[in-house]
Amino acid sequence: MKQILIEKNILQNNDDIASKNRQILKDKGVFTINLLGAPGGGKTSVLEQIIKNIKHNVDVTVIEGDLYTTKDAQRIEKHHVDVIQVNTGGACHLDASMIDQAFEHIDINNLDFLVIENVGNLVCPASYDLSEDMKITVMSVTEGNDKPLKYPAMFQRSNALILNKIDLIDSTDFDIEEFYKDVYSLNENIKIFKVSCREERGIDELCKYLESQINDKRRNKEFQ
Amino acid sequence: MHEVAVMTEVFEIINENIKIYNLKKIDQILLKIGEFTCVEEHALRFSFEVISKGTICENAKLIIQKVKASAYCDNCGETFYICYTNKLCPKCNQFSSNIITGYELLLEKIEGE
Ligand SMILES: Nc1nc2c(ncn2[C@@H]2O[C@H](COP(=O)(O)OP(=O)(O)OP(=O)(O)O)[C@@H](O)[C@H]2O)c(=O)[nH]1
Ligand SMILES: [Mg+2]
Ligand SMILES: [Zn+2]
Repeated sequence: MKQILIEKNILQNNDDIASKNRQILKDKGVFTINLLGAPGGGKTSVLEQIIKNIKHNVDVTVIEGDLYTTKDAQRIEKHHVDVIQVNTGGACHLDASMIDQAFEHIDINNLDFLVIENVGNLVCPASYDLSEDMKITVMSVTEGNDKPLKYPAMFQRSNALILNKIDLIDSTDFDIEEFYKDVYSLNENIKIFKVSCREERGIDELCKYLESQINDKRRNKEFQ
Repeated sequence: MHEVAVMTEVFEIINENIKIYNLKKIDQILLKIGEFTCVEEHALRFSFEVISKGTICENAKLIIQKVKASAYCDNCGETFYICYTNKLCPKCNQFSSNIITGYELLLEKIEGE
């Protein structure tokens, strides 16, 4: 009988592809986010707002992850930015090899900001490195303020959290004090943005934050 | 949910090793899974049963060792166990986001002949 010590990261393949692409994104100064959240929380809506707000200053490309359809990609296309559709064929998350394939269709030399909208899911996607600089979770008040504690992994690993559909808060029992307390207990360093895509509230502040990250990344490239 | 994807990767690595070491039968597979990975044990075992069927791993014993989550305090140097909702250093009460264990997803060892 042979004992074979392997001691290998099971997601090593994913992580190797992700690090290769992270280096490319770094060399080109492209700030990259992985947009996460439950189905219907408003990832695409938030993204549409962001694009409207910053596309005059920033070159944006979007990778749209979806199980089977191109519905979200069609929404993004209307804003005249490049969008690449990735269908996972039923898988509940994007992985680095899917992003790698999408890369073949990206004009990376003329890009400042790459947004990856992940498949709507609060559990798995956070485990797969997609070469992003930040994971940003979108959650809406209609989902209930108990979600951070029920799905802690996503909130723990996110750099920023966008609390969407604030316009609806009065018709829900969403307890915002408890929400803040819970989220900070999971992740004291997370940035929280309250927004309403419907009423276009809170978008400016979110975009200022993103633009400063985009500029930092661009500047680092110029220093190389 | 992504347990099938995880198990598929495990089998890729096992199959590489089966070739390298010319194994005819696998008796044991040891995984180390951190408690922050959201990999659910039942789903993982189920995926194993499905994927191993008809292969030389079919009768192997799958051992899943859980790894507790811990953090390092950048303020005072303490290493301590954490859970999702409590990452405060027991010595100096600072929040630590410097998580050092808990995200493991490792194929540690296989045994066979
Ligand atoms: N009232 C209100 N509705 C919103 C807001 N933002 C988005 N919605 C609605 O919420 C629904 C879902 O929004 P999407 O942007 O498609 O959500 P998503 O997270 O991209 O969904 P998936 O990609 O399917 O997971 C749509 O009907 C939006 O019109 C908001 O701020 N307020
Ligand atoms: Mg969407
Ligand atoms: Zn301490």
